[in-house]
Order: sequence, then C-alpha cells, then structure tokens
Amino acid sequence: MLLDYDRLGWLRAALLGFTGLVAAFLLLPVVFIVLLSFGSSRWLAFPPPGWTLKWYEELFADPAWLEAALTSARIATMAAILAVVIGLLASFALVRGQFRGRNTLRGLLLTPMVLPVVVFAIAIYAFFLRIGLGGTTAGFVIAHTVLALPFAIIPITAALEGFDKSIEDAAIVCGASPFEAKLRVTLPAIKIGIFSAAIFAFLASWDEVVVAIFMASPTLQTLPVKIWGSLRQDLSPVIAAASSLLVLLTLSLMIVTALIRRKLSK
Amino acid sequence: MSGNLLHRPSILRRPDGIGGAFPALVLIILFFVVPVVGLLLRSVTEPVPGLQNYATLFGDGTYARVFFNTFLVATVVTAVTVVVAFPVAWMLAIMPPALGSIVFGIIILSMWTNLLTRTYAWMVLLQRTGVINRTLMDIGLISEPLPLINNLTGVTIGMVYIMLPFMILPLVGTLRAIDPMTLRAAALCGASPFDAFRRILLPLSLPGIAAGGLMVFVMSLGYFVTPTLLGGTSNMMLAAMIAQMIQSLLNWGLGSAAAFILLLVTMALYALQLRLVGAKRTTGGI
Repeated sequence: MLLDYDRLGWLRAALLGFTGLVAAFLLLPVVFIVLLSFGSSRWLAFPPPGWTLKWYEELFADPAWLEAALTSARIATMAAILAVVIGLLASFALVRGQFRGRNTLRGLLLTPMVLPVVVFAIAIYAFFLRIGLGGTTAGFVIAHTVLALPFAIIPITAALEGFDKSIEDAAIVCGASPFEAKLRVTLPAIKIGIFSAAIFAFLASWDEVVVAIFMASPTLQTLPVKIWGSLRQDLSPVIAAASSLLVLLTLSLMIVTALIRRKLSK
Repeated sequence: MSGNLLHRPSILRRPDGIGGAFPALVLIILFFVVPVVGLLLRSVTEPVPGLQNYATLFGDGTYARVFFNTFLVATVVTAVTVVVAFPVAWMLAIMPPALGSIVFGIIILSMWTNLLTRTYAWMVLLQRTGVINRTLMDIGLISEPLPLINNLTGVTIGMVYIMLPFMILPLVGTLRAIDPMTLRAAALCGASPFDAFRRILLPLSLPGIAAGGLMVFVMSLGYFVTPTLLGGTSNMMLAAMIAQMIQSLLNWGLGSAAAFILLLVTMALYALQLRLVGAKRTTGGI
C-alpha cells in the first residue's frame, strides 16, 4: 500500500506537502538570485526598494567579465571534446574488452570523480609548476579533461551496455569493415549517451572552481575564478547579475537537452 | 536472426581489446596518478625526510579541531540529507509522471546551476540582515537575528542544499525497484502503515540509503567551496585548511600530509561503497 500512490490516504497529503517544501527549498536560491539581480539596492535589501538594470550594465561595462566567460567557454569546449573522444574509445574497451583487470581499469579511470578536488588541485598545480604548464590554457584543458573524463565515460558505457552488439555484427556480415560498422551503426545507436557525455563533460569544466583557483594567473581567469574573486571582496549585486545569466544558461541547456533527447530517441 | 549467419567470420568473435583505453590510461597516469603520487612524496620529504608532518597534524590541537569539524559537518549533513531526501524520493517514485517531472525539473535545475551561484545566494539569504532572519523576526519567532553564517550552521545548510539531489536521485531508483506487491501483501496481512514502513519499505531501501549516504558523506568530507564561503575563518574544514597551507602558507610538506589523510579516508570509504553496491551503482547524479 505504501507504494501505491492512490491508496496512501492522509499520508499522501503529508508526503506531497513535504515534497513541495523541499522543491521550494531547492528553487529558493535560484529564484532569489534572479530577483536580486534586478533589485536597486546596492546592499542587497530584499524585497528591493525598486527595480533596475544597472547591475547588468555594470557587468557588461567591465570587459573582464566577458573575457572570463569566453575563457571558460573555450576551455570547457576543448575539455569536453577531448573527454568525449578519449572516453568513447575507452568505453569500447571497458564494455567489450576481455582482459584481466578490466574492473580495476574502470575504477582507475573513474577515480578523478571520487578524489576530493582539492587534493587533485594542489597535486596538478605543483606538477604543472614543475613542467612549465602552470597558468596556461593547455594546463587548464588537460586538468579539466582529467576531471571531465569520468562524466563522459559513465553515460557512454551505459549506452554501450544497452546496445545489442549483434546489430554491429550484422553490418560486418553484410560487408562493412569493423571500423565502418562502429562508425555507421554503433555510434548512431548510442548518440544519446554521447550527447549526455558532452553536456556533463562541458559542465564539469565550465563550473569547476577549485583547480581553476590554483591554476589561474592574472592574465588567464575562468568565469568561476572571477566570481570567486568578487565574492571574497564583497557581495556586489553585479555577481547576482552574472549569476542570473548563468541560471539562464542552465535553463537553456536543460531545454536543449530535453529537445535533443526527444529528437534523438525517435 | 538465425545463428548460421554468424558462424563464419572469426572477426565477430574477436572482442575489442584494451587498446581503446590507451589514451585514457596515458592521460590518467601522466596527469593524475603521477601528480598525486608526487604530492604524497612531498609529505614525507619536505622540509626534511621523515614523518614529522604527520606527527604535527596528529599532535596539535588546532588540527584536531579541524578534523573534528570536518567529520562533524559531514555526519550531520549526511543525516539531514537522508532524512529529507527519503520522503521526496518516495513520492517521486510513485507520483504521476506529469507532477513528478516538475519536481525532477526543479532538482535538475538546482543541481546544474553553477555552484558559486547557489552558494552566493545562500551567503545573501543567511546574512544577519538577510531575508531569512528578517522573515523570522517579522513573524515574531525570534527577536534577535540568528547567527546563520560564518559558522557551522551556515555550512550545514549550504551543504545539505547541494547534496540533496545526489541523495534523492539514486534513492528514486532504489524505491522504484521495490515491488509494490510486497507492501500490499503486508497490508493484507494486517500490518499497520507504520509497521509496513519500518519492517518492509525501510529495510528494502536500506542499500540505496547506505550507498547514497556514503557518497554524500565522502563528498562532504572533501568539500572546499561551500565551507570556505559560508564557514568563516574560525571553523575551518579540512579541504579549506589544505588549500590555505599551500596557497597562503606555502607549507607544502604539511599541506601534502593533510591531503594524503583526506585521500586515504576518501578512498577507504569509496572502496566500502563499491563493496556495498558494486561499481555501476555508485554514479549518483548521472
């Protein structure tokens, strides 16, 4: 009875009410930040005494914000592409390979997701200082690819496990080369997994703060580093404006994801 | 398809080898394993070879306090997250899809929103003069603003907020896998809803709770951003202390030693989680 929605009785009202409260709690900061960004109070009074667009004007007037956003986008795009390509190749080995230590290998490749980022951050910071990659775009991309790799491998291996290999074999029987069969039969079949991998890998880099704080130089700052720096100075409403644009980006990403998933699964 | 077609080509029976994993392996070994091992070596070689960094960490009351704070916050965050997430996951598992997709949408929106954005919102909300204190004072629940930020209360609120999706989403899977028949049978046999919950629903969802709880605990132990921004300087947690030792104090020996302790604890708990649920179930949010 407890798992029958229609037969829960009074318990359903209580649980639904609680779920509603938790949903409100999860939504609260997101909605709050957007409202705040249009409020006219520099001291973040809420509800605001009036409404204004001046924080957005201030945001766009400062080229450092735009530059940081472009840097983030560039690094996240490169890291996502690398992570998806490397992750895709690895996934074939992890799902179909028959060799000893396959589970160990899988565990090793997923470890960057589990290890506290701060440990990796200082480790790669020290390492890059030594080999001269500190504060470079290449260094950023490499570090973020390492962090993004598990987020690419998980959805791709999941999709690959759900794919019936005999379809690929059928293509080979019909004369395709193994490579051609993978390219033209298997990849289209697991495209939703690859697409999820790309989104997750991009976000893993785009939102990454800790490695970025250590790696950033005065001339190379990602958006999270810029926000972090501003947050440590004051709670200026300009941060609320920048944050609201990030919320907008998240929302569009969610909508695009939903649309593409629907289209791909047809 | 009949099996005959597949008899001939030996190419079909040749499995993909380890080769595809080669680029990933090179990347991880060169830019993950080597740097981390290098860091660990520094903990026993700087400033002089020996274990003195570990002796300092375990012998000094200041550091003991940081370890205590870290475990305390991780424990409280995990407990609160489990208790709050369970009813939500329960509803999500059985809700009509139309309603459920709204709640799922909110969870995903919260989870995908930039971490700093969410933390910034809590910094403003939890201020002395923030909305939460003002509302509580307006409705007369309190007469003085509560200290909600720059202490462990603030860290706990912010962390529970961030961890909730990681607990709710895997739990929904666990709860959906339970056959509603078992609970109908319990009701038919005369079990009260409370008995059915305590003796059937809860035990059956325990693997999911354990796996999710362990993941939340591990993530909380090493969290850097939220504790640093909401916690203030007097209640430092382990990750923030490590960053400070390296960034401000340039004490690589001590910082690496603290990092190694964090790594050991995390990996031990991760291994335990793999034992509990198997490698495939530990992926949480994705």
